Amino acid sequence: MISPRTEAPRPLLQALELTRKDLRLEVRAGEALLVTAPFGGVALLLVPLAVGTDVPMLRSVGSGMYWAVVLLFGVLITLRQSAVDAPQQVELLRLTGIHPAVQLLGRAGANAVLLLAFELAVLPVAVIVYDPPLNNWPWLVLVLPLVAIGLAVLGTLAGALTQGLAGRTTLGPLLVVPLALPLLLAATQTAEATRYGRPPWNWLALLLLVDLVAALAVVLSARSLEEGS
Amino acid sequence: MRPLSRHLSTVAVLAMATGLAVALTAPPDQLQGNLQRLMYVHVPAAWLAYLSFAITFGASVGWLWKRKARLDRLAAASAEVGVFFTGLTIVLGSVWGKPVWGVWWTWDPRLVTTALMFFVYLGYLALRRATLDPTVRARRAAVFGVLAFGQVPVVHMSVIWWRALHQPPTVLRPGDPSIDHWMLAALVLNVLAFTAVYAVLLRSRIRLAADEEALAAAQDAATADLAGAAVTAPDYGRRTEPDV
Repeated sequence: MISPRTEAPRPLLQALELTRKDLRLEVRAGEALLVTAPFGGVALLLVPLAVGTDVPMLRSVGSGMYWAVVLLFGVLITLRQSAVDAPQQVELLRLTGIHPAVQLLGRAGANAVLLLAFELAVLPVAVIVYDPPLNNWPWLVLVLPLVAIGLAVLGTLAGALTQGLAGRTTLGPLLVVPLALPLLLAATQTAEATRYGRPPWNWLALLLLVDLVAALAVVLSARSLEEGS
Repeated sequence: MRPLSRHLSTVAVLAMATGLAVALTAPPDQLQGNLQRLMYVHVPAAWLAYLSFAITFGASVGWLWKRKARLDRLAAASAEVGVFFTGLTIVLGSVWGKPVWGVWWTWDPRLVTTALMFFVYLGYLALRRATLDPTVRARRAAVFGVLAFGQVPVVHMSVIWWRALHQPPTVLRPGDPSIDHWMLAALVLNVLAFTAVYAVLLRSRIRLAADEEALAAAQDAATADLAGAAVTAPDYGRRTEPDV
């Protein structure tokens, strides 16, 4: 008797399942929120001790410091998953026949969720330590996820490029951080624009553009990167 | 083409000497005086950085399409030379900026984006160095070489998008170049001379890479076991006499 033919799940469902897999692994390990987030908080605390505890000055630089910490520590979060992947896991995932772009987008989804959680975990520390002006907080509802998505996709791409390399923990950030400059610039300039009463649509459009270009780069290069691993 | 290729080093030296002489005899700038002569080395170095990374981009696309080892060597060699010229551009700009702007470095968009381009391509070279398998290295470097080129138009357009201290383009701009024509001729000559130097450096680096690959292949062949070496012939000759 021939069993009825089962259809493969759609790419979106596959990506969501891979996102769930990575998030479940992160819940077990707890590294992003229990180790990296406190480390980011410590960094925010150390900066005023290095540059001086002048309250008006800290208030003016607080937003920028927050986004710099998000960028630098967020890269560590995005590269963590690819660093812990065993070769057998990578081979097994390849044998399932899931398109490499779907694999990378699934991972990027998990990274975006973790980065958003990281941003939300570190935000109160920045508010308490630097006391930045909060009149622009509604815009954060858009800025936080857009930065998280952009950084997650770029980090996922760097993770795929450095997969299996001995120096990936240092090489990955070197590849991601210069390319992530538009994210840092747009995030900080959104705060600046709203402080002076200007709507930051141009900067939000830049964030969206970076996210889309990075996602397109992942989709176009995924097959080549899988062949190369 | 062959004689030019054979005498490329001589051509480059002669072109550089001529370019230097013309740069020193061109009229000085009305405001900056002789300081402006740094333009004749700063601008060609920046142009060569763009050209190098454009060639890396083209060779990377070519490798992903054709999978030829020589395209990978071309991309790598051009990126190395490009990083050198980008570093030279930053240093020369800094030397020029100190007397004119009063600082070695300023947070001008052109400077910042150029420094970022420098680090992006240092990352490209680090990625190549970290990957040992030649095919994996070529593939990953090609993907990153395509992505990294996105930085080049940003650097060039930065002076138009964000008006700051650095002057906007005077030659590569719509309409007539806004530069004295004698100065423009000296600049073009120096650009050509620097391009000849680039060609020499690129050729040498490609040859070195090919030699390194040949050496690695020869070393692998010398240390590798021969096919079938593990199989030994059965010993039929030593048949012992049975004990009586």
